[in-house]
Amino acid sequence: MKENNNIIELKNIVVEFDGERVLDNLSLAIKDKEFVTLLGPSGCGKTTTLRIIAGFIEPQAGDVLFLGDKINGVPPYKRSVNTIFQRYALFPHYNVFENIAFGLRVKKTPEAEVKKQVSEMLKLVNLEGFEKRNVSKLSGGQQQRVAIARAVINKPKVLLLDEPLAALDLKLRKDMQNELKNIQKKLGITFIFVTHDQEEALSMSDTIVVMNEGKIQQIGTPQDIYNEPKNAFVADFIGESNIIDGVMVKDFVVKLDGREFSCFDSGFEENEEVDVVIRPEDVDIVPPMQGMLEGEVTSLTFKGVHYEIIVDIEGFKWMIQTTDEHKVGETVGLYIEPDAIHIMKKSEYSGKYGDYSSYSDEIDMLNELEEDE
Amino acid sequence: MKPSLLNRIINAPYILWSAIFIVIPLFIVVYYAFTDANGALTLHNIFELKEYKHTFLISIWYSVIATVITLIISYPFAYIMSRKSVNKQQMMMMLVMLPMWMNLLIRTYSWMNILEKTGIINTLLGYMGLSPLKLIGTPGAVILGMVYNYVPYMILPIYSVMSKIEPSLLEAAEDLGSNGFMKLKKVIFPLSLPGVVSGITMVFVPSVSTFYISQKLGGGKIMLIGDAIERQIQTSYNYNLGASLSLILMILILISMAIMNRFTSSEDGGIIV
Repeated sequence: MKENNNIIELKNIVVEFDGERVLDNLSLAIKDKEFVTLLGPSGCGKTTTLRIIAGFIEPQAGDVLFLGDKINGVPPYKRSVNTIFQRYALFPHYNVFENIAFGLRVKKTPEAEVKKQVSEMLKLVNLEGFEKRNVSKLSGGQQQRVAIARAVINKPKVLLLDEPLAALDLKLRKDMQNELKNIQKKLGITFIFVTHDQEEALSMSDTIVVMNEGKIQQIGTPQDIYNEPKNAFVADFIGESNIIDGVMVKDFVVKLDGREFSCFDSGFEENEEVDVVIRPEDVDIVPPMQGMLEGEVTSLTFKGVHYEIIVDIEGFKWMIQTTDEHKVGETVGLYIEPDAIHIMKKSEYSGKYGDYSSYSDEIDMLNELEEDE
Repeated sequence: MKPSLLNRIINAPYILWSAIFIVIPLFIVVYYAFTDANGALTLHNIFELKEYKHTFLISIWYSVIATVITLIISYPFAYIMSRKSVNKQQMMMMLVMLPMWMNLLIRTYSWMNILEKTGIINTLLGYMGLSPLKLIGTPGAVILGMVYNYVPYMILPIYSVMSKIEPSLLEAAEDLGSNGFMKLKKVIFPLSLPGVVSGITMVFVPSVSTFYISQKLGGGKIMLIGDAIERQIQTSYNYNLGASLSLILMILILISMAIMNRFTSSEDGGIIV
């Protein structure tokens, strides 16, 4: 059964820490040579999933397959995967050269071969001339490069990356994103990348696995995940979304805020209640009478590329991104193209996300939270 | 940069303290070592030291053995301790420290009680119908006394260095292909070396200069440098010979510490404790 080109498969994985379920019956197949990102908020189980593949955690139930063979119980040092740790975990007692050479030294590789491979690696990560440097004196970006070289010198089939860019500043992070992507292409191996940064995930991945509460919410290409989110959690976590309660009147017609809109979605039951996702950048602002919906601007924030405005429509606050400036208190019309509307089935996350009522009044929301307690 | 006035005022008491209690006594030791009973300059005391060659060698030899045994006991213990949960670490630390709440004399007397001809071990052997063993008054008893008394000084520095080793470094080593032994050899041992070095110093120095342990557990038959110094000063009132013995002991300790320090500071990336 090795025809499928899945390099790693997780089947019905269950992990519990102190009785708390961290991974809940998780199944996932990862194809060879893919750049896969595990994306989710902290505590969603993404790092645990990575550590199961690395071999640092044994699942309580479920199988881990590597090229079709079960590898449960195989210790990390016998697996053909390597990890880039969150804080790099470079060896402070070795210099750059010895850090990178570590894996080869453990395997008792001849000295000439070690020298040759380490210098190749230094070239790959642009650190030529750094051999003798003390790793603790390197910048964050340089340490990151050493960590990459130290892992890939072992020619792993799969490279696991645990939020490797989290400690870098924004500009450097963008550069490293490109560089990682290039390294992955050059090496032609599978990368499994863990992050909580949706932008990072969208720009780097072939496939994104969105996780929450120990479960996979959606697997798909960045475009799928962004344009066709499966539920309110995914829609909200990836980018900004207005998520409105609607009713599917019939195929291609959805009713929200008392008005019928045509859309491109079908396959729902007649009059089925649904969640309607409309991305803030897909709404056009028009003069009040020409719009499909009408509302009052309640806040306006300049974001550089565009303005972010909040429009109150019958109590529901929409976020809209526009390049035109509008004044708070102004009444505007909203125009929505049929292809801007995405319909989702109701889920456990319905009603929890996608309303910007508290958006501009964060302090009020915090107060409310305190009152709730 | 010149230290400010405030700085000098703050430092003054410490400088004064060091002068009175460290520098001046050192000079007194040197003075006595090179003078005779009448205060006249002489090298007589230094020449007389060759009589004590055997004592010096025995002291160093016993201390080296005691230090090695202490290290063998302490290293695995410190490693295991550093990998336990915080609660267990605190409890184990308690157990290590507990004997130190008692005075060294009392601890040594207790060992006399255990090892004596009519002590606990021989009494038990007697009940079992076995002939008594000669335990006290042997080199073994002296070394046991050193190991027992100084084991915490070895465990603590090694433990403190080991507990600072990031678990992710061990995971990284494992991830890069190291089995348990390679992990120990390539990561844990080099990173714990500073603790080992200060542990060795902290056990070797008091062992080599002890007099109490050798007196009580050596049964008067084993004389170490500490005993020789004590005898010169307490019994013979020969302060000059006592001082020259002390001086040589001090130089010996300084040399051994210098050798030990080379292990930690030579490589780049070494850690200073």
